[in-house]
Amino acid sequence: MSSTQSTHSDELLTVPARFDQLRRVTEFVSRQAERAGFAPLERNRIELAVDEACSNIIQHAYADQAGGLIRVRVQTEARSRIVITLVDTGKPFDPGDVPQHDPKANLDDMKIGGLGLYLMRQTMDDVRFEFNVRGRWPREPKRFNRLTMIKDI
Amino acid sequence: MNSVLAIRSETHKERALTQVKLSGRLDASTVGQLERILADAQLAGVRAVVIDMSDLNYVSSSGLRVLLSARSAIRKRNGDIFLCSLGRNVREVFDMVGFSAVFGIFDTPEQALQAADKLIAH
Repeated sequence: MSSTQSTHSDELLTVPARFDQLRRVTEFVSRQAERAGFAPLERNRIELAVDEACSNIIQHAYADQAGGLIRVRVQTEARSRIVITLVDTGKPFDPGDVPQHDPKANLDDMKIGGLGLYLMRQTMDDVRFEFNVRGRWPREPKRFNRLTMIKDI
Repeated sequence: MNSVLAIRSETHKERALTQVKLSGRLDASTVGQLERILADAQLAGVRAVVIDMSDLNYVSSSGLRVLLSARSAIRKRNGDIFLCSLGRNVREVFDMVGFSAVFGIFDTPEQALQAADKLIAH
């Protein structure tokens, strides 16, 4: 007996690296998360991580170049996990150079940095950056940055 | 699904008070709208801003940064920002980053307004 219903899915989306595309990406990811069985509060956390990751790419990786793309891949295993991969060809950065947000610090002086990274790490189980990855041409860009975020149900 | 931000705002100059109601999503693509309203309130000499978040279903770090910098600016002029009616998603993000311990957060608009009026009277 075989079931035709797949428990795995693998979806791709490519968008221009612009803030007006944020919602398109978060909706795309959220839809896959819902299909995999993530509850609304969990989906909000996943959307937030993806939003922060894309915002960083738009603002920092592609800061001074127009026409950049973000490639989004969402792999899910039903009732188990979601793996989100974001690929860009912008400037690499060192996550170790980003100031670490401390929620217990005095926020009054408002010198606040690293909020986005902090939220990504809080909301996902695993956040992994790779920079200057050598791509397999022509299926992949020659060099790219890859961010992988994983969350289990 | 609501993908935009709607803002209703009213400034009562005689009370040095601005009331804001946010609906939808506060992210990098929409935060400019709120930034402008908060800057206008500053220019109008407002000392208390009450922000009703009952219909706000999403906030990202872009929104958080604007709220924190507006709070810092208004507090320099002996004013403050009062938030109320945070939904579950928004509340969770505020808790995560430590903002819940910093901002005055109230359960209802009435309570927030009361606190705002008290500050202005001083």
